[in-house]
Amino acid sequence: MRRKVLLRCSRERGGPLLAELVKETGLLPHLLRADLTARGSELLISLEEEEVETLRTSSFLKEKGVELREIKRTLQLDRESCTDCGACISLCPTGALRLGEDYSLQLEEERCVFCGLCVPACPVRALKMGEF
Amino acid sequence: MKTVAEINEKIRRGEAVVVTAEEMVEIVKEKGAAAAAREVDVVTTGTFGAMCSSGAFLNFGHADPPIKLGGGEIYLNDVPAYAGLAAVDTYIGSTSISRTRGMEYGGGHVIEDLVRGKEVELRGRGYGTDCYPRKEIETTITIHDLNQAILYCPRTAYQRYNAATNSRDETLYTYMGTLLPEYGNVTFSGAGVLGPLGRDPGYRTIGVGTRIFLGGAQGYIAWEGTQHYPGKGLGTIAVVGDLKRMDARYLRGCTIHRYGTSLYVGLGIPIPILDEEVARTAGTDETQLRTNLLDYGVPRRERPVVREVTYAELRSGRIVVGKKEVPVSPLSSFRMAREIAWTLKRWIEKGEFLLSEPVERLPADRVFRPMKQVAPVPLVREVMTRQVVTVGPECSIAEAARILAEKGFDHLPVVDEHRRLVGIITSWDIATSVGTGKTRVSEIMTRKVVTAREDEPVDSVARSLELHSISGVPVLNERGEVTGVLTSDDLSKLVGRRR
Repeated sequence: MRRKVLLRCSRERGGPLLAELVKETGLLPHLLRADLTARGSELLISLEEEEVETLRTSSFLKEKGVELREIKRTLQLDRESCTDCGACISLCPTGALRLGEDYSLQLEEERCVFCGLCVPACPVRALKMGEF
Repeated sequence: MKTVAEINEKIRRGEAVVVTAEEMVEIVKEKGAAAAAREVDVVTTGTFGAMCSSGAFLNFGHADPPIKLGGGEIYLNDVPAYAGLAAVDTYIGSTSISRTRGMEYGGGHVIEDLVRGKEVELRGRGYGTDCYPRKEIETTITIHDLNQAILYCPRTAYQRYNAATNSRDETLYTYMGTLLPEYGNVTFSGAGVLGPLGRDPGYRTIGVGTRIFLGGAQGYIAWEGTQHYPGKGLGTIAVVGDLKRMDARYLRGCTIHRYGTSLYVGLGIPIPILDEEVARTAGTDETQLRTNLLDYGVPRRERPVVREVTYAELRSGRIVVGKKEVPVSPLSSFRMAREIAWTLKRWIEKGEFLLSEPVERLPADRVFRPMKQVAPVPLVREVMTRQVVTVGPECSIAEAARILAEKGFDHLPVVDEHRRLVGIITSWDIATSVGTGKTRVSEIMTRKVVTAREDEPVDSVARSLELHSISGVPVLNERGEVTGVLTSDDLSKLVGRRR
């Protein structure tokens, strides 16, 4: 099971953070999303469970002044409320939301990058985003 | 061949062969329509989509002392209900929105809450008469406290409906859902093979008085639906049923993001297979069901057709628009439509639901006419300033300032060598650039420009100016060349002209 991790560092830091991480730790993360926000630059990546530990205990984070947060909460689908209408699926940039063989809504949490487009588009408010 | 009475006799004996429309497609494909007509007695259909033209008539009974709410005001959980009927009758429509919660809660939600047996707050005002002296009422009610609660939907079950996409460079929030920029997605509504009216497009078996599945209970077709337009394959029906017997699983209040509230209505119609012709239409597969993909980026009544699509393509989840393949969202639930068709099938098999012969056919010649407007809405090209001056991105700010001052303009579109728009600068941009050391127009221009099209009605541009807090937009022709500028000044003059 892959885990999602948010790396955050100050805006001033600059430099090719992801390339440095790959080079120095030898890990090969999937980049899910990159943002430049008021809080700094944020990289949402995914790693295997044991790789998260490798990164957490490596000296890389401390040296580069990078904060690591493991994403625990995620997009929540209220099955009771969902009508499987599918209004969300064409808005999902990663295909995390799709209709299955029986036309019921499938949420593949691993693929969700927390863009949030689907949440207000749900006509019956069955989708909620957990804060991270 | 067969009559409805004969089929009902078979249903009573538990011998009727009932299949869903999905099953019928396979049977017709395999055995042909003639054999299917001999074999099958009833085909069940279903649909579960947001139907804005829906609502419920409610009767509260009289208060003591009595109040006449008709002519006054009525609110249910802060959602305005119609107060133009007798003293304690009302109609709550699905699109009425809460005065306190806005689009998050509306008439559709009130109806769902009533069906769930929840308490609903009733607040009302009357003007007071000799027979109805009371002027205000505040109480809570549940559906059990009402004398009647009747779901009545003037327009449901569109035979087919167009699919939607968006050519603009901004996201649109429409009744067809969220439409991503530059043909980023496609949405459609309708249950395809399970869609009721499409199974009997000649309305041979469906008409006024037809008993149907409505909101989890038995209901009836009351009349042709509003905007019923059979000539274009856009038939609709008005339906009626007892809200007190309905199930909230099949009636869901909803919010269409930044559009409004509505009500998802579950509806299914049984089609008696009287002869080969009905069998054939009831077994039409999705590759034969076509609709138009329209560009909702053009805010006109007649939206341009991007291409024709089949329900089979839409159902596949991805369709080709121009050169790219884009994801598709259904807005109505096919899984629920299927559940409704299966539920109706079981009811009939168990003899709990008998078919009814229509007492009146649906009209086949009705047309849907546009609204009569006494004052036509002017188009951008009729109002815009045509003496548009443009500059290139390498032009100096000083030169741009000189042009604006000389011409008395506030907006200066920046174009490339092919006259394509690359940016815009305003007198405000120039004012704020003073002392920054910047010299070229390209350094201070706004690159993401809000634009208008020549053939757009000015009302939609006025909305765009307001949404973006800007005072003018460059106008582009179909080739993307700048042909004018439309400013709030141009719009102000128009108001003067209208008077």
